[in-house]
Amino acid sequence: MDPNGSSFIFSRRAFLRGAGALGVISVAGSIGLRLPPAAWAQKAPGAPVPEEKVEETLKRLFGNRPLKDGAGKVKLETPLIAENGAVVPLSVEAKLPMTPANYAKHIYLIADKNRRPMTARFTLTPDSGEAFVGANIRLGATTDVRAVVEMSDGTLYQVKNHVKVTVGGCGG
Amino acid sequence: MADIGKVRIRVPSTIKKGDVVRVKSIVTHPMEIVERDKQGKPIEKKYNYIYMIIVSYNGKEIAQFETTQSISQNPYLSFAFKPDKPGQLKITYLDTKGGKYEGTQEIAF
Repeated sequence: MDPNGSSFIFSRRAFLRGAGALGVISVAGSIGLRLPPAAWAQKAPGAPVPEEKVEETLKRLFGNRPLKDGAGKVKLETPLIAENGAVVPLSVEAKLPMTPANYAKHIYLIADKNRRPMTARFTLTPDSGEAFVGANIRLGATTDVRAVVEMSDGTLYQVKNHVKVTVGGCGG
Repeated sequence: MADIGKVRIRVPSTIKKGDVVRVKSIVTHPMEIVERDKQGKPIEKKYNYIYMIIVSYNGKEIAQFETTQSISQNPYLSFAFKPDKPGQLKITYLDTKGGKYEGTQEIAF
């Protein structure tokens, strides 16, 4: 899809330039790169992004592509109960190839019940050696947390964990 | 927070050629969350949070992380990479107020 890694540059510029990068986005979109729709890109970074339901997030990110069950391939580690929703440590580890021919390109973290479910997108390269990321995230309420791994050939693997949240961590 | 933008990076103490190295990093940053008025409507203003983290090794970009306000204050991040030769690992954090924070770590075999 994008053997020379040029989408890296495209997506970064698009984010930095905001509205000015709409042309770039349409070019990048045509080579199969998935970027947020124009409404997102138009806003300068820092403005509140629109709230949405998780179904809309998944549709926006993955279109109608099937999400395969990643059980056995992708491991999502979350606490069973998060006492403080402001800091929920989690990690994603995938036993998937990391060769230039096919590698785990993106790892998405999505928290279903958050007002903005899209939490983070990690872009990896074959130099990453293994598909592993860890982060601390905020959860507003007891929710399912999904990790979606996108291979460079476009295959999507999803795993889901349920996290009980005692005190929400998203403020308002 | 006086230390805003302070980056700390931790790597294993011994690294051999061919190893996949797991890196932990943390940056001091408030990661402001959306504020709401009395009606519960989000207040439209520019919030200061880190939206992009770029990892490079010897000048070559090896990973890129797009983050949102759903990431905790003082973002902690861990990831893996496979160094082919000794060099310098650099992690750059960009926030929405134009802040750019960098941390580097020498990798030796």
